[in-house]
Amino acid sequence: MALRTSKIRKAEFHSSGKEKAVMEYFEAKTVDEASRFLREHPEARVLAGGASLVVLLKNGLIRPSHLVNLKTIPGLNAIEQAEGCLRIGALNRHGDILSSPAIRKICPLLPEAASKIASPPIRNMGTIGGNLCHADPAADFPPSLIALGAKAKLVSDEGERTVPVEKLFVGYYETVLSPTEILAEISIPSLNRRSSGSYVTLDQVTNGVSIVGVAAVVGLADDGSCAFAGIGLGGVAPTPLKVERAKEILVGRKIRDADIECAAEEARTICNPTGNSFASAEYRREMVRVLTKRALRDALKRIGEGRTFSGE
Amino acid sequence: MKKRKIELNVNGEAHTISVPPQRTLLEVLREDLGLTGTKEGCSEGECGVCTVLLDGLPVRSCLLFAVDVRGRKVTTIEGVAQGQRLDPIQEAFIEQGAIQCGFCTPGMILSAKALLAHTSSPTEDEIRVAISGNLCRCTGYQKIVKAIRAASREAQRDVGQALR
Repeated sequence: MALRTSKIRKAEFHSSGKEKAVMEYFEAKTVDEASRFLREHPEARVLAGGASLVVLLKNGLIRPSHLVNLKTIPGLNAIEQAEGCLRIGALNRHGDILSSPAIRKICPLLPEAASKIASPPIRNMGTIGGNLCHADPAADFPPSLIALGAKAKLVSDEGERTVPVEKLFVGYYETVLSPTEILAEISIPSLNRRSSGSYVTLDQVTNGVSIVGVAAVVGLADDGSCAFAGIGLGGVAPTPLKVERAKEILVGRKIRDADIECAAEEARTICNPTGNSFASAEYRREMVRVLTKRALRDALKRIGEGRTFSGE
Repeated sequence: MKKRKIELNVNGEAHTISVPPQRTLLEVLREDLGLTGTKEGCSEGECGVCTVLLDGLPVRSCLLFAVDVRGRKVTTIEGVAQGQRLDPIQEAFIEQGAIQCGFCTPGMILSAKALLAHTSSPTEDEIRVAISGNLCRCTGYQKIVKAIRAASREAQRDVGQALR
């Protein structure tokens, strides 16, 4: 959403020039059909909510031969809880996630992340699948999904595979999806009743891009020791990141301040930010440390207050 | 370029139009249907002047392809008043002086309309979140927020009277 490129290209898009003549439109009825179409038309792009894609198109950053509309495929916008998992269809819009009673109850961290994405009208358009596949390193959903241990189901006409959300990204605006694969669903494993999470961001303006975003999820065992810990980072590397060592630093012990400091230092160490006009690389790195502490403390505080994932 | 025939319901009126795939809803509204109340500003989803309601929810008409919203219900600022009678939100904007240059006003009113449709008595915070995607460079927002509050009270009074 925050791409800032030449406005001249936009004029081209609007003009009745050649570009306009080449783009065709296809409404897929099944994932298989969409996948086959993408195989036959390698220059085609999929359209979900359009909130990011149309900006790319208008700025001339992509010039697809076809748009393949996924919204005409039934069943990609389900939200269901089954087999110890919360399954969220890729076509759920940010607003759907914000207002879903089931998600608000089982996993309020996701609505918290959704509320930070762009503005309300964009949240009524953009989808969780699109947010992930656009692979903006500063996107607001990935840190929370990574902290939760979420997985993405990728489907093509040749089969399906499941990848952890942190493995979905390979670089700036680049994912592991093959040209014929479609992200169909996100699944979030259920955590125990004494778990909670927090997503904290460094923002410049309301509705703006999160300069740095850190999500932390903590689950406690009956004796108060840490049974689950996940930390996801956004805006501080070419891709969203998982703090892999969070588990070994936090799980199995009663979390004390020193452990939080240690996890925050680990987050600072693994990130690889570049600077821009919003914040220098150094500042981002320091903010990762600060926000990781805040997110972990906030998650623990929420557990203390009974604001847990299945409770409320 | 293949044109597609689509049906659109705009402000309660059914339209059948032929559009190329990349024609935006904004272009269709302004250029094909002559509904110029919806404005074009940044044209990339940031400013909010192109906001319309799609099945009752505010969206950016500059980022939606018309083919993608076929069969759906679109409400523009032209569809807000009931005949000659302005919507209470429009009345409140006039009364509170919430309009200066007027360019953001259609989008503001539609965002407010969507808010009041499901939250009859919003808090100031809820109002500010609801219009957070609509930029205004004149008013400083205070009077807009006041107008939406006034309209919500107005709406409640109407409901109260109807119940009596």
